[in-house]
Amino acid sequence: MQNTKHQTNLDIVGVFLSWVLPGLGHLSQGQKRRGTLIMFGALFLVCCGVLVGGIDAVDHKQDGLWFIAQVWCGPVVIAVDLLNQWFVAPLPTSERATLVGLSHVNEIGTLFIAMAGLMNFVAMLDVLQSEGRQDLERRLGEGVGGNT
Amino acid sequence: MMAWIPFMQPMNALQSTWYLLLIPMAFGIAVIYRALREESYATYWRSVVIMTGQIVFGIAAIALALGMFVQFVIPLLNQP
Repeated sequence: MQNTKHQTNLDIVGVFLSWVLPGLGHLSQGQKRRGTLIMFGALFLVCCGVLVGGIDAVDHKQDGLWFIAQVWCGPVVIAVDLLNQWFVAPLPTSERATLVGLSHVNEIGTLFIAMAGLMNFVAMLDVLQSEGRQDLERRLGEGVGGNT
Repeated sequence: MMAWIPFMQPMNALQSTWYLLLIPMAFGIAVIYRALREESYATYWRSVVIMTGQIVFGIAAIALALGMFVQFVIPLLNQP
């Protein structure tokens, strides 16, 4: 019996690269435009999250469940958490007060980075089941050629 | 006015307008999702804008519906 299903190549190295830096897995597969856009989107969310919530937006001790979602964005999130643990957590309460986000800004900052992590998880799954997908710019070339 | 250190201290000035941050969050999500799903770069940014609008208006509609429910429906249920 002929097997009509495509054989799927599981790109484990690509998945790891996607975790190290969002979009890097797609870049390693030659999907430069797609990888660059994923990198821009994920880093945009992380930067916005840290900008809004401060470095306290990532805290694996106080916000452990959120950290599980955030850590899918890779070492950049772990670096923010380490900065938080080294510089903010040991401070006395009076000094911490200006560095710890309260109420909405803390929630939104945490949520931004969690969204970045979860979206990067989706990107990692996309890299894992790559079946020779074409990059956006290649399809653009085909589309332009087909339209003219 | 106390100095604010970006990326170190939280942006407390946004406490009263926090809901506007839904727009950049929806934009970031749409950028990643459409990069994965879109097949042509020619329509990519248009799709990003559309998806951003869909997320924002969807969540706003849910918030409106829940607000109406809490403000009007629940008081009706509590009437003897």
